[in-house]
Amino acid sequence: MTKNIFYFIGGLFIVVLVQEFGLSHLTLFKVSPDIVTIFIAFISISIGQKTGTSFGFAAGILSGILSGNIGLNMLARTLEGFIAGYFNIPEDSHATAKQKIKRLYGAVATSGFCANAVLETGYNPLGLPLTYRIVALGLLGTLFTLLLAVIITRLFLRQSLAD
Amino acid sequence: MQKFFSLFIKYNSYLLFIVYCSIAVLFMKFKDDEVLAKLRTGGIEFNAFISDKMMSYSYVVNLKKENDLLIRINADLLAKVLNFENATLDERNRQKILADTTLNASKFKIARVVSRKFSDRDNILLINAGWKNGIKKDMTVLTPEGLVGRVSVVSEHFAKVIPVINTDFKVVVVSDKSKSMGVLSWNGSKEFIAHIEHIPISSSLKLNEQILTSDFSTFSMRGIPVGKVISIKPDNLFYTVEVKLAVDFSSLTQVLIAPLKIEPEKVEMIGNDTPN
Repeated sequence: MTKNIFYFIGGLFIVVLVQEFGLSHLTLFKVSPDIVTIFIAFISISIGQKTGTSFGFAAGILSGILSGNIGLNMLARTLEGFIAGYFNIPEDSHATAKQKIKRLYGAVATSGFCANAVLETGYNPLGLPLTYRIVALGLLGTLFTLLLAVIITRLFLRQSLAD
Repeated sequence: MQKFFSLFIKYNSYLLFIVYCSIAVLFMKFKDDEVLAKLRTGGIEFNAFISDKMMSYSYVVNLKKENDLLIRINADLLAKVLNFENATLDERNRQKILADTTLNASKFKIARVVSRKFSDRDNILLINAGWKNGIKKDMTVLTPEGLVGRVSVVSEHFAKVIPVINTDFKVVVVSDKSKSMGVLSWNGSKEFIAHIEHIPISSSLKLNEQILTSDFSTFSMRGIPVGKVISIKPDNLFYTVEVKLAVDFSSLTQVLIAPLKIEPEKVEMIGNDTPN
Protein backbone atom coordinates (compact mmCIF):
# COMPACT_ATOMS: atom_id res chain seq x y z
CA MET A 1 0.00 0.00 0.00
CA THR A 2 2.84 2.37 0.95
CA LYS A 3 4.50 1.55 -2.36
CA ASN A 4 1.20 2.32 -4.13
CA ILE A 5 0.94 5.66 -2.35
CA PHE A 6 4.31 6.68 -3.78
CA TYR A 7 3.16 5.68 -7.23
CA PHE A 8 0.03 7.71 -6.71
CA ILE A 9 2.03 10.75 -5.58
CA GLY A 10 4.16 10.48 -8.71
CA GLY A 11 1.00 9.97 -10.74
CA LEU A 12 -0.51 13.07 -9.17
CA PHE A 13 2.37 15.23 -10.40
CA ILE A 14 2.09 13.82 -13.91
CA VAL A 15 -1.69 14.18 -13.99
CA VAL A 16 -1.55 17.81 -12.84
CA LEU A 17 1.05 18.60 -15.49
CA VAL A 18 -0.95 16.80 -18.19
CA GLN A 19 -4.03 18.76 -17.17
CA GLU A 20 -2.25 22.10 -17.05
CA PHE A 21 -0.21 21.81 -20.23
CA GLY A 22 -2.41 19.54 -22.30
CA LEU A 23 -6.06 19.10 -21.53
CA SER A 24 -6.72 22.64 -20.33
CA HIS A 25 -6.01 23.75 -23.91
CA LEU A 26 -8.69 21.43 -25.32
CA THR A 27 -11.56 23.81 -24.69
CA LEU A 28 -14.95 23.31 -26.20
CA PHE A 29 -17.70 25.84 -25.41
CA LYS A 30 -15.28 27.51 -22.96
CA VAL A 31 -14.77 24.35 -20.85
CA SER A 32 -12.25 21.54 -20.92
CA PRO A 33 -12.19 18.01 -19.46
CA ASP A 34 -10.40 17.53 -16.13
CA ILE A 35 -8.16 14.51 -15.67
CA VAL A 36 -7.24 15.56 -12.09
CA THR A 37 -10.86 15.00 -11.05
CA ILE A 38 -10.74 11.46 -12.45
CA PHE A 39 -7.47 10.77 -10.65
CA ILE A 40 -8.73 12.07 -7.30
CA ALA A 41 -11.99 10.17 -7.70
CA PHE A 42 -10.05 7.01 -8.46
CA ILE A 43 -7.88 7.47 -5.33
CA SER A 44 -10.93 8.18 -3.21
CA ILE A 45 -12.92 5.17 -4.33
CA SER A 46 -10.00 2.77 -4.27
CA ILE A 47 -8.12 3.90 -1.13
CA GLY A 48 -10.49 5.95 0.96
CA GLN A 49 -12.03 9.28 1.74
CA LYS A 50 -9.19 10.65 3.90
CA THR A 51 -6.52 9.77 1.35
CA GLY A 52 -8.72 11.14 -1.42
CA THR A 53 -9.21 14.38 0.48
CA SER A 54 -5.46 14.69 1.12
CA PHE A 55 -4.66 13.98 -2.52
CA GLY A 56 -7.27 16.54 -3.50
CA PHE A 57 -5.62 19.06 -1.22
CA ALA A 58 -2.19 18.32 -2.71
CA ALA A 59 -3.54 18.44 -6.24
CA GLY A 60 -5.11 21.80 -5.38
CA ILE A 61 -1.75 23.15 -4.24
CA LEU A 62 -0.01 21.99 -7.42
CA SER A 63 -2.63 23.13 -9.88
CA GLY A 64 -3.05 26.35 -7.87
CA ILE A 65 0.65 27.13 -8.14
CA LEU A 66 0.59 26.48 -11.89
CA SER A 67 -2.61 28.38 -12.54
CA GLY A 68 -1.95 31.22 -10.10
CA ASN A 69 -5.06 30.71 -7.95
CA ILE A 70 -3.85 28.56 -5.07
CA GLY A 71 -6.53 28.94 -2.39
CA LEU A 72 -9.50 28.37 -4.65
CA ASN A 73 -7.95 25.32 -6.30
CA MET A 74 -7.09 23.85 -2.93
CA LEU A 75 -10.67 24.29 -1.75
CA ALA A 76 -12.18 22.85 -4.93
CA ARG A 77 -9.87 19.84 -5.09
CA THR A 78 -10.21 19.08 -1.37
CA LEU A 79 -13.98 19.11 -1.79
CA GLU A 80 -13.59 16.87 -4.81
CA GLY A 81 -11.60 14.28 -2.86
CA PHE A 82 -13.95 14.45 0.08
CA ILE A 83 -17.13 13.99 -1.98
CA ALA A 84 -15.60 11.23 -4.09
CA GLY A 85 -14.79 9.47 -0.82
CA TYR A 86 -18.50 8.70 -0.38
CA PHE A 87 -18.23 6.39 -3.39
CA ASN A 88 -15.38 4.46 -1.77
CA ILE A 89 -15.29 0.72 -2.40
CA PRO A 90 -13.98 -1.04 0.73
CA GLU A 91 -11.10 -3.47 0.22
CA ASP A 92 -13.20 -6.42 1.43
CA SER A 93 -16.04 -5.51 -0.91
CA HIS A 94 -17.36 -8.12 -3.33
CA ALA A 95 -18.36 -5.50 -5.88
CA THR A 96 -18.13 -6.47 -9.51
CA ALA A 97 -16.02 -4.57 -12.00
CA LYS A 98 -19.17 -3.05 -13.45
CA GLN A 99 -20.24 -1.78 -10.05
CA LYS A 100 -16.81 -0.37 -9.37
CA ILE A 101 -16.78 1.43 -12.73
CA LYS A 102 -20.26 2.80 -12.01
CA ARG A 103 -19.02 4.07 -8.67
CA LEU A 104 -16.05 5.70 -10.34
CA TYR A 105 -18.33 7.46 -12.83
CA GLY A 106 -20.62 8.54 -10.00
CA ALA A 107 -17.66 9.88 -8.04
CA VAL A 108 -16.31 11.70 -11.09
CA ALA A 109 -19.66 13.26 -11.93
CA THR A 110 -20.58 14.33 -8.40
CA SER A 111 -17.20 15.53 -7.21
CA GLY A 112 -16.43 17.06 -10.59
CA PHE A 113 -19.62 19.10 -10.60
CA CYS A 114 -19.04 20.30 -7.02
CA ALA A 115 -15.47 21.31 -7.78
CA ASN A 116 -16.60 23.05 -10.98
CA ALA A 117 -19.26 24.91 -9.01
CA VAL A 118 -16.67 26.10 -6.48
CA LEU A 119 -14.23 27.16 -9.19
CA GLU A 120 -16.94 28.86 -11.24
CA THR A 121 -18.18 30.71 -8.17
CA GLY A 122 -14.78 31.90 -7.06
CA TYR A 123 -13.29 32.84 -10.40
CA ASN A 124 -14.95 34.56 -13.33
CA PRO A 125 -12.37 35.58 -15.92
CA LEU A 126 -14.95 35.74 -18.73
CA GLY A 127 -17.42 37.91 -16.81
CA LEU A 128 -20.33 35.47 -17.27
CA PRO A 129 -23.42 35.32 -15.05
CA LEU A 130 -23.05 33.07 -11.99
CA THR A 131 -26.05 30.86 -12.81
CA TYR A 132 -24.81 30.28 -16.34
CA ARG A 133 -21.33 29.48 -15.04
CA ILE A 134 -22.52 26.97 -12.48
CA VAL A 135 -25.35 25.34 -14.41
CA ALA A 136 -24.21 25.45 -18.00
CA LEU A 137 -20.43 25.49 -17.75
CA GLY A 138 -20.29 23.39 -14.60
CA LEU A 139 -22.50 20.68 -16.11
CA LEU A 140 -20.77 20.79 -19.46
CA GLY A 141 -17.36 20.52 -17.81
CA THR A 142 -18.60 17.56 -15.78
CA LEU A 143 -19.91 15.91 -18.94
CA PHE A 144 -16.56 16.31 -20.72
CA THR A 145 -14.74 14.94 -17.67
CA LEU A 146 -17.13 12.00 -17.55
CA LEU A 147 -16.48 11.24 -21.21
CA LEU A 148 -12.77 11.33 -20.53
CA ALA A 149 -13.31 9.04 -17.54
CA VAL A 150 -15.06 6.54 -19.81
CA ILE A 151 -12.14 6.59 -22.24
CA ILE A 152 -9.51 6.29 -19.49
CA THR A 153 -11.41 3.50 -17.74
CA ARG A 154 -11.67 1.51 -20.95
CA LEU A 155 -8.02 2.05 -21.83
CA PHE A 156 -6.15 1.97 -18.51
CA LEU A 157 -8.31 1.24 -15.44
CA ARG A 158 -9.97 -2.01 -16.46
CA GLN A 159 -7.46 -4.11 -14.55
CA SER A 160 -7.47 -1.87 -11.47
CA LEU A 161 -11.25 -2.02 -11.27
CA ALA A 162 -11.52 -5.75 -11.99
CA ASP A 163 -13.68 -8.05 -9.84
CA MET B 1 -12.14 12.69 27.32
CA GLN B 2 -12.39 9.21 25.89
CA LYS B 3 -15.69 10.19 24.31
CA PHE B 4 -13.97 13.17 22.65
CA PHE B 5 -11.20 10.99 21.21
CA SER B 6 -13.65 8.37 19.98
CA LEU B 7 -15.67 11.16 18.35
CA PHE B 8 -12.46 12.53 16.83
CA ILE B 9 -11.49 9.14 15.46
CA LYS B 10 -15.01 8.51 14.19
CA TYR B 11 -15.24 11.78 12.33
CA ASN B 12 -11.62 12.33 11.44
CA SER B 13 -12.49 12.53 7.73
CA TYR B 14 -14.68 15.54 8.42
CA LEU B 15 -12.02 17.10 10.63
CA LEU B 16 -9.38 16.57 7.97
CA PHE B 17 -11.69 18.11 5.41
CA ILE B 18 -12.36 21.09 7.66
CA VAL B 19 -8.65 21.58 8.32
CA TYR B 20 -7.83 21.48 4.61
CA CYS B 21 -10.70 23.81 3.77
CA SER B 22 -9.56 26.22 6.48
CA ILE B 23 -6.05 26.25 5.04
CA ALA B 24 -7.50 26.84 1.59
CA VAL B 25 -9.61 29.71 2.91
CA LEU B 26 -6.56 31.17 4.62
CA PHE B 27 -4.68 30.97 1.33
CA MET B 28 -7.54 32.77 -0.35
CA LYS B 29 -7.64 35.42 2.37
CA PHE B 30 -3.91 36.08 2.30
CA LYS B 31 -3.47 35.66 -1.42
CA ASP B 32 -1.65 38.98 -1.67
CA ASP B 33 0.90 37.93 0.91
CA GLU B 34 4.51 38.20 -0.27
CA VAL B 35 5.31 34.50 0.13
CA LEU B 36 2.17 33.43 -1.73
CA ALA B 37 2.80 36.03 -4.40
CA LYS B 38 6.33 34.66 -4.88
CA LEU B 39 4.96 31.12 -5.04
CA ARG B 40 2.42 32.22 -7.64
CA THR B 41 5.06 34.05 -9.66
CA GLY B 42 7.32 31.01 -9.58
CA GLY B 43 4.44 28.80 -10.71
CA ILE B 44 3.57 31.09 -13.57
CA GLU B 45 7.21 31.26 -14.60
CA PHE B 46 7.43 27.47 -14.61
CA ASN B 47 4.18 27.31 -16.55
CA ALA B 48 5.51 29.77 -19.10
CA PHE B 49 8.82 27.89 -19.36
CA ILE B 50 7.11 24.56 -20.04
CA SER B 51 4.65 26.16 -22.46
CA ASP B 52 7.55 27.77 -24.29
CA LYS B 53 9.35 24.43 -24.55
CA MET B 54 6.19 22.78 -25.80
CA MET B 55 5.73 25.53 -28.33
CA SER B 56 9.32 25.04 -29.47
CA TYR B 57 8.69 21.33 -29.86
CA SER B 58 5.49 21.90 -31.76
CA TYR B 59 7.38 24.45 -33.85
CA VAL B 60 9.95 21.82 -34.81
CA VAL B 61 7.20 19.31 -35.58
CA ASN B 62 5.33 21.85 -37.71
CA LEU B 63 8.46 23.20 -39.35
CA LYS B 64 7.49 22.26 -42.87
CA LYS B 65 4.09 23.86 -42.52
CA GLU B 66 5.68 26.94 -40.94
CA ASN B 67 8.22 27.06 -43.69
CA ASP B 68 5.56 26.97 -46.40
CA LEU B 69 3.66 29.69 -44.60
CA LEU B 70 6.79 31.81 -44.29
CA ILE B 71 7.59 31.38 -47.96
CA ARG B 72 4.09 32.54 -48.82
CA ILE B 73 4.37 35.52 -46.46
CA ASN B 74 7.80 36.26 -47.85
CA ALA B 75 6.44 36.31 -51.38
CA ASP B 76 3.67 38.68 -50.33
CA LEU B 77 6.12 40.95 -48.55
CA LEU B 78 8.48 40.90 -51.51
CA ALA B 79 5.65 41.96 -53.80
CA LYS B 80 4.78 44.76 -51.39
CA VAL B 81 8.38 45.90 -51.08
CA LEU B 82 8.76 45.92 -54.85
CA ASN B 83 5.59 47.94 -55.21
CA PHE B 84 6.81 50.42 -52.60
CA GLU B 85 10.22 50.66 -54.19
CA ASN B 86 8.71 51.27 -57.60
CA ALA B 87 6.39 53.90 -56.20
CA THR B 88 9.29 55.59 -54.41
CA LEU B 89 11.41 55.54 -57.55
CA ASP B 90 8.59 56.92 -59.66
CA GLU B 91 7.96 59.65 -57.14
CA ARG B 92 11.67 60.49 -56.94
CA ASN B 93 11.87 60.76 -60.72
CA ARG B 94 8.77 62.92 -60.77
CA GLN B 95 10.24 65.20 -58.10
CA LYS B 96 13.49 65.38 -60.06
CA ILE B 97 11.63 66.41 -63.16
CA LEU B 98 9.62 69.02 -61.28
CA ALA B 99 12.69 70.35 -59.49
CA ASP B 100 14.67 70.83 -62.69
CA THR B 101 14.83 74.60 -63.24
CA THR B 102 16.18 74.32 -66.76
CA LEU B 103 12.79 73.08 -67.86
CA ASN B 104 9.57 74.87 -67.37
CA ALA B 105 7.81 71.80 -66.09
CA SER B 106 4.46 73.49 -65.71
CA LYS B 107 3.90 73.30 -69.46
CA PHE B 108 4.99 69.70 -69.65
CA LYS B 109 2.94 66.67 -69.04
CA ILE B 110 4.41 63.92 -66.93
CA ALA B 111 4.01 60.28 -67.83
CA ARG B 112 5.40 56.97 -66.75
CA VAL B 113 6.98 54.50 -69.14
CA VAL B 114 4.79 51.43 -68.87
CA SER B 115 6.38 49.30 -71.53
CA ARG B 116 9.46 49.21 -73.67
CA LYS B 117 10.09 47.09 -76.71
CA PHE B 118 13.55 46.90 -78.10
CA SER B 119 13.57 44.07 -80.58
CA ASP B 120 13.94 43.41 -84.23
CA ARG B 121 10.20 43.72 -84.68
CA ASP B 122 9.48 46.72 -82.55
CA ASN B 123 11.43 49.49 -80.89
CA ILE B 124 9.08 51.74 -79.02
CA LEU B 125 8.20 53.08 -75.61
CA LEU B 126 4.67 53.08 -74.21
CA ILE B 127 3.74 55.86 -71.82
CA ASN B 128 0.67 56.05 -69.61
CA ALA B 129 -0.71 59.27 -71.02
CA GLY B 130 -3.06 59.50 -73.99
CA TRP B 131 -5.29 61.97 -75.70
CA LYS B 132 -7.37 62.22 -72.55
CA ASN B 133 -4.30 63.72 -70.91
CA GLY B 134 -3.74 66.13 -73.78
CA ILE B 135 -1.09 64.08 -75.59
CA LYS B 136 -0.94 64.57 -79.37
CA LYS B 137 1.01 62.99 -82.17
CA ASP B 138 4.52 64.39 -82.74
CA MET B 139 4.87 65.83 -79.28
CA THR B 140 8.45 65.77 -77.98
CA VAL B 141 9.24 63.33 -75.20
CA LEU B 142 12.14 64.17 -72.92
CA THR B 143 13.65 63.92 -69.48
CA PRO B 144 15.82 66.44 -67.61
CA GLU B 145 18.80 64.51 -68.98
CA GLY B 146 17.77 64.97 -72.58
CA LEU B 147 15.68 64.03 -75.57
CA VAL B 148 13.85 60.71 -75.47
CA GLY B 149 11.83 60.67 -78.64
CA ARG B 150 8.62 61.63 -80.38
CA VAL B 151 5.01 60.60 -79.85
CA SER B 152 3.92 58.54 -82.83
CA VAL B 153 0.55 57.04 -81.92
CA VAL B 154 -1.92 58.23 -79.30
CA SER B 155 -4.76 56.27 -77.73
CA GLU B 156 -7.17 57.31 -75.00
CA HIS B 157 -4.88 56.57 -72.06
CA PHE B 158 -1.57 55.63 -73.63
CA ALA B 159 0.83 56.85 -76.26
CA LYS B 160 3.50 55.18 -78.33
CA VAL B 161 6.84 56.94 -78.46
CA ILE B 162 9.50 56.49 -81.13
CA PRO B 163 12.74 56.83 -79.19
CA VAL B 164 15.91 58.43 -80.46
CA ILE B 165 17.36 54.92 -80.72
CA ASN B 166 14.98 53.99 -83.53
CA THR B 167 16.12 53.99 -87.11
CA ASP B 168 12.96 55.88 -88.10
CA PHE B 169 13.81 58.73 -85.78
CA LYS B 170 15.59 61.83 -87.04
CA VAL B 171 16.01 65.23 -85.48
CA VAL B 172 17.85 68.39 -86.45
CA VAL B 173 20.52 69.17 -83.88
CA VAL B 174 23.04 71.85 -83.18
CA SER B 175 26.25 71.87 -81.14
CA ASP B 176 26.34 74.28 -78.23
CA LYS B 177 29.74 75.95 -78.89
CA SER B 178 30.50 75.78 -82.61
CA LYS B 179 26.81 75.89 -83.57
CA SER B 180 27.41 73.16 -86.14
CA MET B 181 24.17 71.79 -87.42
CA GLY B 182 23.23 68.37 -88.65
CA VAL B 183 20.66 65.60 -88.60
CA LEU B 184 20.90 63.13 -85.75
CA SER B 185 19.89 59.55 -86.32
CA TRP B 186 20.58 56.11 -84.95
CA ASN B 187 21.83 53.32 -87.14
CA GLY B 188 21.02 50.34 -84.98
CA SER B 189 24.42 49.62 -83.49
CA LYS B 190 25.11 50.53 -79.86
CA GLU B 191 22.15 51.63 -77.76
CA PHE B 192 23.84 54.76 -76.43
CA ILE B 193 25.56 55.96 -79.63
CA ALA B 194 23.86 58.04 -82.35
CA HIS B 195 25.26 59.70 -85.44
CA ILE B 196 25.08 63.19 -86.89
CA GLU B 197 25.05 63.61 -90.63
CA HIS B 198 25.50 66.62 -92.84
CA ILE B 199 28.09 68.45 -90.77
CA PRO B 200 30.49 69.92 -93.31
CA ILE B 201 34.25 69.48 -92.98
CA SER B 202 34.55 73.22 -92.76
CA SER B 203 32.72 73.16 -89.43
CA SER B 204 34.73 73.80 -86.24
CA LEU B 205 33.00 71.05 -84.27
CA LYS B 206 35.11 69.71 -81.37
CA LEU B 207 35.01 66.63 -79.19
CA ASN B 208 32.88 66.76 -76.02
CA GLU B 209 30.64 69.47 -77.40
CA GLN B 210 27.07 69.28 -76.22
CA ILE B 211 24.52 68.52 -78.88
CA LEU B 212 21.11 70.15 -78.50
CA THR B 213 17.93 70.12 -80.53
CA SER B 214 17.66 72.91 -83.03
CA ASP B 215 14.86 75.32 -83.71
CA PHE B 216 14.93 74.00 -87.28
CA SER B 217 13.29 70.81 -86.06
CA THR B 218 9.71 70.46 -87.18
CA PHE B 219 8.50 68.85 -83.95
CA SER B 220 11.03 69.47 -81.18
CA MET B 221 11.57 72.64 -79.22
CA ARG B 222 15.12 73.96 -79.30
CA GLY B 223 17.75 73.51 -76.62
CA ILE B 224 16.90 69.99 -75.45
CA PRO B 225 20.15 68.14 -74.69
CA VAL B 226 20.68 65.15 -76.93
CA GLY B 227 24.20 64.04 -76.12
CA LYS B 228 27.91 64.72 -76.26
CA VAL B 229 30.30 64.41 -79.23
CA ILE B 230 32.67 61.50 -78.67
CA SER B 231 34.10 60.97 -82.14
CA ILE B 232 34.59 63.06 -85.27
CA LYS B 233 35.75 61.37 -88.46
CA PRO B 234 36.19 63.38 -91.66
CA ASP B 235 34.72 62.04 -94.89
CA ASN B 236 34.84 63.58 -98.38
CA LEU B 237 32.53 66.48 -97.74
CA PHE B 238 31.09 65.87 -94.29
CA TYR B 239 32.13 64.68 -90.86
CA THR B 240 30.88 61.43 -89.49
CA VAL B 241 30.13 62.35 -85.91
CA GLU B 242 29.33 59.97 -83.10
CA VAL B 243 27.30 61.23 -80.18
CA LYS B 244 26.92 59.61 -76.81
CA LEU B 245 23.27 60.01 -75.99
CA ALA B 246 22.34 61.86 -72.80
CA VAL B 247 19.45 59.62 -71.91
CA ASP B 248 19.96 56.14 -70.56
CA PHE B 249 17.14 54.29 -72.27
CA SER B 250 17.67 51.18 -70.23
CA SER B 251 16.58 52.88 -67.00
CA LEU B 252 13.88 55.16 -68.27
CA THR B 253 10.87 55.30 -65.96
CA GLN B 254 9.40 58.80 -66.00
CA VAL B 255 9.22 61.18 -68.94
CA LEU B 256 8.01 64.66 -69.81
CA ILE B 257 5.97 65.45 -72.86
CA ALA B 258 6.54 68.89 -74.26
CA PRO B 259 3.69 70.88 -75.83
CA LEU B 260 3.25 70.47 -79.56
CA LYS B 261 5.13 72.87 -81.77
CA ILE B 262 2.50 73.97 -84.23
CA GLU B 263 4.25 74.66 -87.53
CA PRO B 264 2.23 72.79 -90.16
CA GLU B 265 3.19 75.28 -92.84
CA LYS B 266 6.86 74.56 -92.22
CA VAL B 267 6.28 70.82 -92.63
CA GLU B 268 4.29 71.50 -95.78
CA MET B 269 7.04 73.70 -97.21
CA ILE B 270 9.71 71.09 -96.48
CA GLY B 271 7.45 68.47 -97.98
CA ASN B 272 8.62 65.63 -95.82
CA ASP B 273 6.22 63.15 -94.27
CA THR B 274 8.49 62.30 -91.38
CA PRO B 275 9.19 65.25 -89.14
CA ASN B 276 12.77 65.74 -88.02
